[in-house]
Amino acid sequence: MKGRVPLLLGVVLGMALILSAGMGFCVPPGFDDKEIRIASWGPLTGPAAPWGAVSRGPAVLAAMVNEQGGISGRKIRHIVRDDMYNPAQTKVVVKELVEKEGIFAFVSGPSSAGGLAVKDYLAQNKIIWVGPATSVKEYVFPPQPYLFSVYPLYEDEGSVLAKYVVEKLGIKEIGVVYQNDTYGRNGLDGVRQRLNHLKMKPVVEIPVEATEKDLSSHVLKLKSAGAKAVLMWVNPTTGVVLLKTAATVGYKPQWVSSNTLSDFALMNKISGGLWEGVITGAFMLPPDSDDPRVVKYREAAKKYAPEERFGVFFMAGMMFAEPLIEAFKRVGKNLSTDAVLKALNSMKGFQGVGPKLTWSPHQHQGSDSIQIWKCGPGGKTILIQDWTVNDLAHWKK
Amino acid sequence: MYGQLIIEGLSIGACYAVFGIAVVIIYKTSEVINFAQGEMAMISTFVAYHILNVYGWPFWYAFIGACVFAVLLGLFIEVCFLRPAKNPSVLGLIVITLGAEMLLMGLAGWKWGGEQKDFSLPFSFHKTHELMGGLVINDWSIAVFVMAAVLMIFLFVFFRYTKLGVAMRATQQNEHAARIMGIKVERVFSFAWGFSSLIGALAGMFFAARSTLDPAYMMEPFLRAFAAAVLGGLMSIPGVVIGGGILGLLENFFGFYWPAWKPIVAFLVIVLVLCIRPSGLFARHYEKKV
Repeated sequence: MKGRVPLLLGVVLGMALILSAGMGFCVPPGFDDKEIRIASWGPLTGPAAPWGAVSRGPAVLAAMVNEQGGISGRKIRHIVRDDMYNPAQTKVVVKELVEKEGIFAFVSGPSSAGGLAVKDYLAQNKIIWVGPATSVKEYVFPPQPYLFSVYPLYEDEGSVLAKYVVEKLGIKEIGVVYQNDTYGRNGLDGVRQRLNHLKMKPVVEIPVEATEKDLSSHVLKLKSAGAKAVLMWVNPTTGVVLLKTAATVGYKPQWVSSNTLSDFALMNKISGGLWEGVITGAFMLPPDSDDPRVVKYREAAKKYAPEERFGVFFMAGMMFAEPLIEAFKRVGKNLSTDAVLKALNSMKGFQGVGPKLTWSPHQHQGSDSIQIWKCGPGGKTILIQDWTVNDLAHWKK
Repeated sequence: MYGQLIIEGLSIGACYAVFGIAVVIIYKTSEVINFAQGEMAMISTFVAYHILNVYGWPFWYAFIGACVFAVLLGLFIEVCFLRPAKNPSVLGLIVITLGAEMLLMGLAGWKWGGEQKDFSLPFSFHKTHELMGGLVINDWSIAVFVMAAVLMIFLFVFFRYTKLGVAMRATQQNEHAARIMGIKVERVFSFAWGFSSLIGALAGMFFAARSTLDPAYMMEPFLRAFAAAVLGGLMSIPGVVIGGGILGLLENFFGFYWPAWKPIVAFLVIVLVLCIRPSGLFARHYEKKV
């Protein structure tokens, strides 16, 4: 019996150590005198791999800063891990990064489910997360002290796009096709918000599952309802299937989509040219724009990541990292989590290649505006409306 | 509108049916459900895409290349993955096909990336023909109907009147007796896998032309085709074709009136059929005697 007591104590002590590691007692610092470590997770492999580009983009911005000598003598090191778009894997890679590498802040991070899986862990370990590459209300309502959102809400986007269709295009018969999840329903809420305000209703609202490949009944329903404009909050494949199916039955409405399908080079290619004429929301300047900031990013991407296609997703990764780099610059030599939080919380009207960002200690949804683009010949981006605020946004009131 | 729903439902149903036939051919010989069927078709379609876009060869060369590849892939999986299994149970073989599915998907992601790609057939969905009263049918649908009809007739003749077809049926009914009667069972299995892979590749190319090509694009059509096969009877070729048609129509009418319910129709069909008539609507049930 006596021999068992030390063994029992050892087991209890071991368990306590393992548990305390999970609670963040052993987290190494995310910076030293020579470097600041920032990181992103994303699907670098697997079916969602196209969105992995958004996790690789920040590395180019870090390289640009490092070329200028870094920030107050510290270089920025950007680390990427593959979560294969699997929330369980997101938890594993984030924990490994935080507890082994020592990360000061995370940037980007596509996948709502993956983000929600690690949000609380990051907060417990007081790690800043700037610019999740998706719009999730739970990230910012109520405000999370360490999480700062750049991405416009799909609800605001829906409202602005519906306003454009009704007032600029003069179309009153609006149909909505939405993915049957938070993403799709938020977009639908925005359209309803605007149409209610205009004392109108969508002529038809059709939910669709992300994996569906046959959408002929959906298209026939849109056609029979007389929808002259169709607003979509769907994934790229669903968008392509909708347009292809519409072509088979001679249905030609004005297609309007969420910013998630605004990579025109890709969409036009995979739809066999059918994407030309589609209108979408957008949360940054077009990647093929002549704006000097975009030209500078494009050149840097050619230099530091020549294997990457400089499309919407890759440039978005750079855009999501901009405010964090700006906060580092404002803080300078006396770097600490509290100092960077203070800099982020006091950011007012900061604008890089994305929308204007304003954060405060009580408001961590940074942007409220979108641009509107149209897909031109050969997948070229045509800017048809500059930054537009959702004047009905309830979260600002 | 009902007429158009029927045309669209039957055409996608015919595509499910063709793919379902691929599932049935393997089941008919070995009673194994091949869960790698979708990914085998996906890889073969990627080969056609590769020949078209990397080598720049004409479509029919790419088509023939993909068909040859599909046959070899089927043979390879049977010879290298299934045959080495020692004293395999049916469940064990099914688990091996699940492993092959993951392997093929990973291989496609590594070789061609996860980004969606455009894959077109000469039978375009753009080109439509007016039948009557505003009803239209496109070239893609016509080609699918023709393919399903030709395959059904060919397979009916093959299984009833050819030695190999009869040997395949005999192998399924009693592998041991088939061996005693001099049937080279291993060859029958290899043929079934190669042939099934070829038919799956044909359906895979049609599915890709209707949506996009990526490593995961055949997962959902496989489930639909499996539902069609279960509905028609996993042993019956005409049953699968009729099952595909019924499923396509059910899905389209559900999709039109209750879109939110459409995705579950196929699964509801599987559950109902397995509960009420496990051998399917058209399959004859054989009792094995000791």
